[in-house]
Amino acid sequence: MPATAVAEAGPAPAATPPAAPPSFGTLALRWYRLNRAGLRAIAIGVTSLIAFLLVWHLLTTYRVVFFVRFTNVPSPLAVYASFTKAMHDPKFLMHILLSCRRIFIGFSLAAIVGVPLGLIMGRFKLVHEIIFPVAEVLRPIPAIAWVPMAIMLWPTNEQSIVFITFLGSFFPILVNTLHGMSLVDPVLVRAAQCLGARERSIFREVYFPASLPHIFTGLTVGMGVAWVSLIAAEMISGQYGIGYFTWEAYSLVQYADIALGMIAIGVLGLGSSLLIRGAGQLVMPWRST
Amino acid sequence: MVRHLPTLSIAMSVTSLALLVTQPASAETVTLGIGTQDTTTNTVTAGVVIRQLHLLEKYLPKDGKYANIKFELEWQNFTSGPPVTNAMMANKLQIGMMGDYPLIVNGFTFESNPESKSRLIGIAAYSLSGSGNGLVVHKDSPYYDLADLKGKLVSVPFGSAAHGMVLKAMQDRGYASDFFQLVSQSPEVGSTNLQEKKIDAHADFVPFAELLPFRGFARKIFDGVETNLPTFHGIVVRTDFAEKYPEVVVAYFKAVIAANQWLRDDPKLAAEKIQEWTGISKEVVYIFLGPSGNMTTDPTIKPALIDAATTDVKVLQNLGRMKEFDPKKWVDDSYIRKAYAEMKLDYDAQLASTRNYEIAGDDSFCKKPIADPRKAGEVWVDDAGIVPFSSASCTLGAYADYKAKGKKINVAYVFDTTRGIKLFADQAFFAVGNGEVAPFLLKKDAEAYAAKISGKVLGFDDAVKAAVGGGKT
Repeated sequence: MPATAVAEAGPAPAATPPAAPPSFGTLALRWYRLNRAGLRAIAIGVTSLIAFLLVWHLLTTYRVVFFVRFTNVPSPLAVYASFTKAMHDPKFLMHILLSCRRIFIGFSLAAIVGVPLGLIMGRFKLVHEIIFPVAEVLRPIPAIAWVPMAIMLWPTNEQSIVFITFLGSFFPILVNTLHGMSLVDPVLVRAAQCLGARERSIFREVYFPASLPHIFTGLTVGMGVAWVSLIAAEMISGQYGIGYFTWEAYSLVQYADIALGMIAIGVLGLGSSLLIRGAGQLVMPWRST
Repeated sequence: MVRHLPTLSIAMSVTSLALLVTQPASAETVTLGIGTQDTTTNTVTAGVVIRQLHLLEKYLPKDGKYANIKFELEWQNFTSGPPVTNAMMANKLQIGMMGDYPLIVNGFTFESNPESKSRLIGIAAYSLSGSGNGLVVHKDSPYYDLADLKGKLVSVPFGSAAHGMVLKAMQDRGYASDFFQLVSQSPEVGSTNLQEKKIDAHADFVPFAELLPFRGFARKIFDGVETNLPTFHGIVVRTDFAEKYPEVVVAYFKAVIAANQWLRDDPKLAAEKIQEWTGISKEVVYIFLGPSGNMTTDPTIKPALIDAATTDVKVLQNLGRMKEFDPKKWVDDSYIRKAYAEMKLDYDAQLASTRNYEIAGDDSFCKKPIADPRKAGEVWVDDAGIVPFSSASCTLGAYADYKAKGKKINVAYVFDTTRGIKLFADQAFFAVGNGEVAPFLLKKDAEAYAAKISGKVLGFDDAVKAAVGGGKT
C-alpha cells in the first residue's frame, strides 16, 4: 500500500531516541509509547483500506445489485492484473512521470501567481474590486470546458495541458489566500503600526504569517483540483499522461484499465497532498498538525 | 454533447421502484433507451430522423402482450461510440449505434457481461470501398500524400473506424508502426488542433474528413477508398431486451426502413432537416447521403461488412486490445428479416444488392441525359435547388453560367475520375486538356492523368475558366 508506506516513513526516523544505553526491549517500548497515536492511525488506516478492498472484491465477485449495480464493475483482482501488465510496460511509467511533471509545473505556477495576488488583493481594496469579479466568473468554469480555448490560446499542447492544471489549482489558492487575509486580526495590524512598522514589515511580519494556515489549505485543495482536471487536460495530449491513459481506456471500453487509471490518480493525488502538508509543517512549526 | 441526467435517472429509478412496489394492474411503463450519434452523419437514418419524425411511435406494437405496456423512449446523443457502449453495459440504453471498430469493442465487452450480450442487428450506412473515413491536413501545409507525413504528428481517435483506416493504410504501404507519430485525439480536440496547426494531420470518421475542408481550413489528402476495406455504422441491441420485447426491435427496424425512404424521397429536404437537427452543414450531409453519395444507407447486414469486421478484429488483436471474438456469431438478422417480411419487402433481394440510389435525369446545361452518374456532377443553387449535370465539364460550365446570371451557389459536386467518390468541386484537382475536364481528390492522381492526356492540373477557379473555354488550357 503506497499510502501506508508514505505514512510510515514519516514518524519512523523522528522516533529514534538520542543515543542511550537501555536495552532493545525498553527502547522498543519507549518508541511504542511515543508513537502510539501515530501507530494507531496507521493501523486503522491500513484496516480501512483492506476493508475497502474486501468490500469491493465481494461486491464485484457476487455482482451485487441493490439499486447500485456492481454487475460489470471490474474486481480488484482484474485491476491488479492490469496493474502488473502496466508495470511491465515502460509506457506506463512515462504516463505517470509526464503527469507528475505537468501537475508540478501547473501547480507551482498557480502558487507563484495565486498566493501573492491573493495577498495583494486582500491588502488593497482597489485591486480586490478590479480582480475579484473576473476571478469569480472564471472560477466555476469546469476544466473540460476550457479544452478548446486552451488549445487555441497556447502555442504547444504541453502548455495547454499545464494551463488547465494551472487553472484548476489557481482559484482554490487565490480564494483561500483571500480568506486568510480577511481573517487577520486588525488589532495585530494596528499594534504593529503603533510600534512603527512600515507597510512592508507589516506585510511580512503580520499579514503573511497570519494567513499562512489558509494559504496552505488553499495549496492542498488546489493540488487536489489540479489532479481532478487532469483527464480534461490530457485529452489534448493524445499520447502520454495518466489522465490520457484513463481516457484511452474509456475509448476502448477497458474497465480494468479505467479503474487502474483512477486509482493511480488517487494515489498520486494523495502523495502530493502529503508533500504539501509536510511542507506546511516545516513552514509553520507552531501548528501542531 | 453527452447528456447526463442523474436527477432524471434517479427520478425514473424511483418511479420504477414505486411501480414495482405498487404493482399496478393496468399499465406498465418500459423505458427504451436508444443511443445515437447525431453528428456522425451516417447514423442519422437509424437515430435522429426516427426521433424527429416520431417514426418509432408509429410502429410500436400496441396489442396482445403490449396492450398494457407503455413505452417511454429515451434518446441520448453522443459524439462517439464508446460512451454508447458504456451506457448499454449499464443498461441505461438498450439499442445503440456506432462505427465498425466501436461496434466490435461493444460486442467483445458484452461477452463478459453476465446479464446480457449484445448483437449486431442491422446496419445504418456503409461504404464498401471504405469512403467516409479520411485524413485531412491544414490547407496551408505542404503535404499532399501520406508519404509526406513521415515522422509527422498525426492524430486519430483511437478505437474508431478512422483508426482502423490509418492502420490498414500503413499496413498496405508497408510503413513501420512509427512511420507517423500517431496520437489519439477525439474529433473535437483533433479539429481544433489541426486548425491551430498543432498537429500535422488528423484522421477521422464521418463527417469530419468532409466537414473540416468544407469549413475552409483543411484539405483531405487520403480517403478511406484507398484502403478498399469496407466501413460501416451498425446497430446493436442488448439481448435481454430483444428477447423480452422482440416485436419492439422489429418495430424499430420498420422505423429505420421508413427513415431511409424519407431520405431518398427528397434528399435535399432531408439534408436541410438534418442540418437543422444535428448542426452538420447540409452540403456535407448531402455529400454522404444524397444520390450517388459516399455512403449507402441500407439496413441489411451484408456478408462483405461482416468479413470486414473480421479483419478489424485481427487489427485489434494485433494491437493487444482484444482476445478471441467471432463477428459471425455476433450477428443476428432475425429482427430485421421480420421487419422486411411484415412490410412485404424482399430482404434477400436487398441483401444481395449493393446499389446506392444514383443521380439521374437530364442535363439542362449540356442538353443531354445523364448516362453515368459517377461521372456526373451537381450544383446546389440557393433558390433553384440541386441541379444535376452529365459531366464535370458541364457541371463547371453550368456553374460559371449560374455565376454570370448572378445566382447564389451553395456548393458544386463532382466525382473523382478513377475512384468514383463524390467531391466538393472547389476542393478538387482538375486534370484539363484535350477537351476533357477530369476531377480528382488527390493531386498526384490528377498529375498522372494530366500527363496521360498531355494536359495540366488546375485548381477549381482555373478549371471553371477552362470548362467555359471548352476544356482547353
